[in-house]
Amino acid sequence: MEAIEVTDLRKTYGSTRAVDGVTFTVRAGETFGLVGHNGAGKTTTVECLIGLKRPDAGTVRVLGEDPARRRQALAQRIGAQLQESSLPERIKVAEALRMFGTFYRKGADWRQVMERWSLQPLARKAFGDLSGGQKQRLMLALALVGDPEVVVLDELTTGLDPIARRETWRLVGDLKAVGTTVVLVSHYFDETEALCDRVAVFARGRVVAMGTPDDIVARTGTASLEEAYFALEGADR
Amino acid sequence: MKAFTALAATELRLLFRDPASLFFMMAFPLMLLVLKRGDSGAVPGYVAMIVAIGGMGALPGIVASYRERKVLKRLAATPISPVLLLGAQLVAQVAAGLAGSVLLVVAAITVFGAEAPGNVLMLAVAFLLCSVMVCSLGFVIAAVVRNTRGASLIGMLVMFPMIFLAGAAVPRTALPDSLRRIGDFLPLTPGVEALGDAWSGTAAVFPLLILAGIIVAATAVAAALFRWE
Ligand SMILES: Nc1ncnc2c1ncn2[C@@H]1O[C@H](COP(=O)(O)OP(=O)(O)OP(=O)(O)O)[C@@H](O)[C@H]1O
Ligand SMILES: [Mg+2]
Repeated sequence: MEAIEVTDLRKTYGSTRAVDGVTFTVRAGETFGLVGHNGAGKTTTVECLIGLKRPDAGTVRVLGEDPARRRQALAQRIGAQLQESSLPERIKVAEALRMFGTFYRKGADWRQVMERWSLQPLARKAFGDLSGGQKQRLMLALALVGDPEVVVLDELTTGLDPIARRETWRLVGDLKAVGTTVVLVSHYFDETEALCDRVAVFARGRVVAMGTPDDIVARTGTASLEEAYFALEGADR
Repeated sequence: MKAFTALAATELRLLFRDPASLFFMMAFPLMLLVLKRGDSGAVPGYVAMIVAIGGMGALPGIVASYRERKVLKRLAATPISPVLLLGAQLVAQVAAGLAGSVLLVVAAITVFGAEAPGNVLMLAVAFLLCSVMVCSLGFVIAAVVRNTRGASLIGMLVMFPMIFLAGAAVPRTALPDSLRRIGDFLPLTPGVEALGDAWSGTAAVFPLLILAGIIVAATAVAAALFRWE
């Protein structure tokens, strides 16, 4: 079954074609990666998946529904970590997790989520006093308090230290193990190779390559996803 | 409902964690009362001042920062509508204003021997309308002014003259004629009147109707102009 179907998605800001005819599908339980240069249209695409942006053209279906029309109903089943977002400066970590827990009908136990993401030492710390990586970890945890079927992670490990990064990989692996569909945007090829079943390479609002990391590497006749990416980028430019 | 209660309770806690809100809505009015040697005639005006400080002095900056820092956007990615956060902020401001006002009234009665309010029910209605009214003006400011600093500044610039000219901080009878006439057109003036009438027991309905009218108009303007991003 397809958890996500995007067909010929287009979104323009003034004269900028942010997303210019993007098509892909993500199977239920799959971990799907979006990579590509800054401004390639990754964030715009994932924001259309969670209903924060309305496409100019094309169709988007997530769990069989149109996010632009059914944002609130779908949000019960989708967890999102946005590239840019924050919480009130003075809210405490435990408070934020408990409050977000009340937004969801079923939801995971917020205490368990706090523990799983090693946030309990920070439970009484205010959001404004957290380090960048600690904030990132909290935002990731908040994406999961609703016990979602689909998780969208925009710049999963940006700002995390190497240990927290590996720890996050392990937790994303756990999501895969319980059958959660994951869409993740990343600028790191090691991460993409380690976590993603399939990858879409974005360039200038289009998908220039898609497939398993091995496929993409083989098709470009290169030795790694990173080299494949450079080959694709060079060819496209 | 569970979500809204949690949001409102959190917003109220955040207000109480803010030293400026705490000082200006709780301690400052008490200090003024002491300076006035407990003159109970000043109490209804101070109540209007407390809610104006919250609704126009603090609310616009808070709401604008939620937009600028993408707190509203994060909520839009959950099953609740970000409108609920604005509603929660309103409830929290009303509750904080109520806490400050009750403190002031209790101090006036117990410490300074003021007479209890003449019409408690009308006082409650006047309080509710007045405090929702100043918040609705705060939402208009947050809707029109995009960034946090600007919204805070405009909120203060609107709030300060208004509490003086509307008779909240000083009685309007103490103002020169020309300034008093400006007060006739300020939305806080009927608030001060309604609170003063209920306090002395001569309940008049007209100022309450005006307050309700301002709430409807300001909410419509804020809803039409509010930008979520
Ligand atoms: N709200 C907006 N208004 C105008 N232009 C926008 C807006 N949002 C995005 N864009 C433009 O759309 C293009 C795609 O942006 P998007 O954020 O989707 O890129 P991205 O692939 O996520 O980049 P990054 O890796 O830097 O996060 C960029 O050229 C960007 O400048
Ligand atoms: Mg992005």
